[in-house]
Amino acid sequence: MSGRGANSSSALLQPSMQQRTGRIVLIVAALLFLAVFLVLPVVAVFTQAFSQGWKMYADSIHQEDVLSALRLTGLVACISVPLNMLFGIAASWAITRFEFHGKSLLITLIDIPLAVSPVVAGLMYVEVFGLHGWFGPWLSEHNLHVIFAVPGIVLATVFVTFPFVARELIPFMQAQGSDEEVAAVVLGANGWSVLWRITLPNIKWALLYGTILAASRSIGEFGAVSVVSGHIRGQTTTLPLEVEMLYNEYNFTAAFAAASLLTLAAIVTLVLKKTIEVTSGVHRHTEEKEAQS
Amino acid sequence: MSIQVQRISKQYGSFAALSDVSLTIESGELVALLGPSGSGKTTLLRIIAGLESPDEGLIRLHGEESTGHSASKRGIGFVFQHYALFRHMTISENVAFGLRVQSRKLRPSRGDIRERVRELIHLVQLDSFAEMYPEQLSGGQRQRVALARALAVKPKVLLLDEPFSALDAKVRKELRDWLRRIHDELHVTTVLVTHDQDEALEVADRVAILNQGGLEQIGTPQSIYDNPASPFVYNFLGNVNLFHGRLLADLSPEARGDGRKEPIESAVGFVRPHELEVSRDLPPDEKAVVASVVRIHSAGPQVRLELSIAGNGRPVTAELGRKQFEEMALAPGDSIFIWPQSIRLFDDDGARALLLDQGAGI
Repeated sequence: MSGRGANSSSALLQPSMQQRTGRIVLIVAALLFLAVFLVLPVVAVFTQAFSQGWKMYADSIHQEDVLSALRLTGLVACISVPLNMLFGIAASWAITRFEFHGKSLLITLIDIPLAVSPVVAGLMYVEVFGLHGWFGPWLSEHNLHVIFAVPGIVLATVFVTFPFVARELIPFMQAQGSDEEVAAVVLGANGWSVLWRITLPNIKWALLYGTILAASRSIGEFGAVSVVSGHIRGQTTTLPLEVEMLYNEYNFTAAFAAASLLTLAAIVTLVLKKTIEVTSGVHRHTEEKEAQS
Repeated sequence: MSIQVQRISKQYGSFAALSDVSLTIESGELVALLGPSGSGKTTLLRIIAGLESPDEGLIRLHGEESTGHSASKRGIGFVFQHYALFRHMTISENVAFGLRVQSRKLRPSRGDIRERVRELIHLVQLDSFAEMYPEQLSGGQRQRVALARALAVKPKVLLLDEPFSALDAKVRKELRDWLRRIHDELHVTTVLVTHDQDEALEVADRVAILNQGGLEQIGTPQSIYDNPASPFVYNFLGNVNLFHGRLLADLSPEARGDGRKEPIESAVGFVRPHELEVSRDLPPDEKAVVASVVRIHSAGPQVRLELSIAGNGRPVTAELGRKQFEEMALAPGDSIFIWPQSIRLFDDDGARALLLDQGAGI
């Protein structure tokens, strides 16, 4: 009995020739898959972008339309990301610190943008704010433009990126509990003091993490924005829309040059995200809590 | 500052956490709220603190009604079971917090704050830890920081919610003694919530015992230990032997404790293990029963015997001093005589305490 046991355990530790080949095959298959579906496309974007040399690349980006798309994308991100931070903090604070009726409904509502196709989101805004929509006549009377203008693009982006901060904060704040905040209140702190001195310092890494995800999505959003933008060159095209338009015009070098900017933004996001995970232990924290309980 | 709890009730859904609880805590007193989990003791503490609001009733702090005041305006110090230290602040920043968030008019100068924080950290004997973070400290040290933080704002009332229950036995004992010393030094009115009867009886000036949202009894540790008002209190404060029996003769009216006339036939008797006499010889009045020794626990200052009454086999616990134990040379299986020195009777539903002379039969 004992002899057999020893044999089988050593067999586990030292794989047979067959098992070793099996392992190598699997690893190679996984690496190949990664290379073909993830690395190669990224490389292709940059090769295409630089296919006619540095000068052509620089010129493509320096076109007035591309620059204006870049500016618009930046503007939209600068408006929608802070809005989402505010909303995310408020929603997670309410959900994790208070008991109220309709709480589960609110949690469900926050997830809607993730469940709904972005195109549908865009169409909803057209239906509400468009010329023939509910508020359309009133808006055009007052000379306010939402659809096919910058406000519509901001609205669509805010909608699509709505859940990112809140979804990151809610589980984190639930795991942290409200003891410290209650302690601060008893010590005489008012609501603002509690928020600035206790809550925000405690959630800063999770907040930053969610914000980066929201920012990356708001830069890259295509579907919802495409519906409400109207594709007016130099006015209502964001960078992803500009890429599509250039591509449809067979201007491949320019399209890939613009796309390379988006790809760069994505790479920066990933690096930042990883750095935060490592330095702050945002996700480690919740795991520890789970392990404790 | 005195605390008056007047007819407080609190309901969570269909669960009555507190029903019509009234008690008064005198200025400078240390009172323990003692009870099993679910007895409402923590809810009562949080209502006094203003962290929960009662459905009915009033809280008066120093005679002034404060039921509507928020927790931040009550001038109380609160110590939590799990410390609730601010994890991103050093120990001295934690202690300084209550002073730093005061409105500009009341806030002491930076120098004064620094001085006060230094004093408090010295008081809790953590001088060399001032610049460390909470996660670098042990549980006992963290709870001392929490106490210093609560004391920084010079609270008129100090409320402690099971402050030592997350600590191991030895540290718990040390901190308990230390809390009593601090209280004797500062004389701040203190309410301590605990489920540990030793802790309550040892530390507090008075102990309030809660059960199922109601106040069972309040009194000095000795008075509630010696004269428990109900079977619950008897059971909760240490080990007790229970005897069900019939009364052979009706009690005199004064012994019955109320004016009811109908005869009381059966009763429950409570005898603490140390009130049970054990001997190898039959006592002179011959009022004793025979029991056999089942198990002997002889580690500790008192020896505890697990006995089984001959005839009905009911388990009984007795305690005796080491000296007597050695003289008797007991071993498991021995038969001995047992009789109660004193017994306390309650009628069957536990509602009335009955008086009985010593030495009455079981």
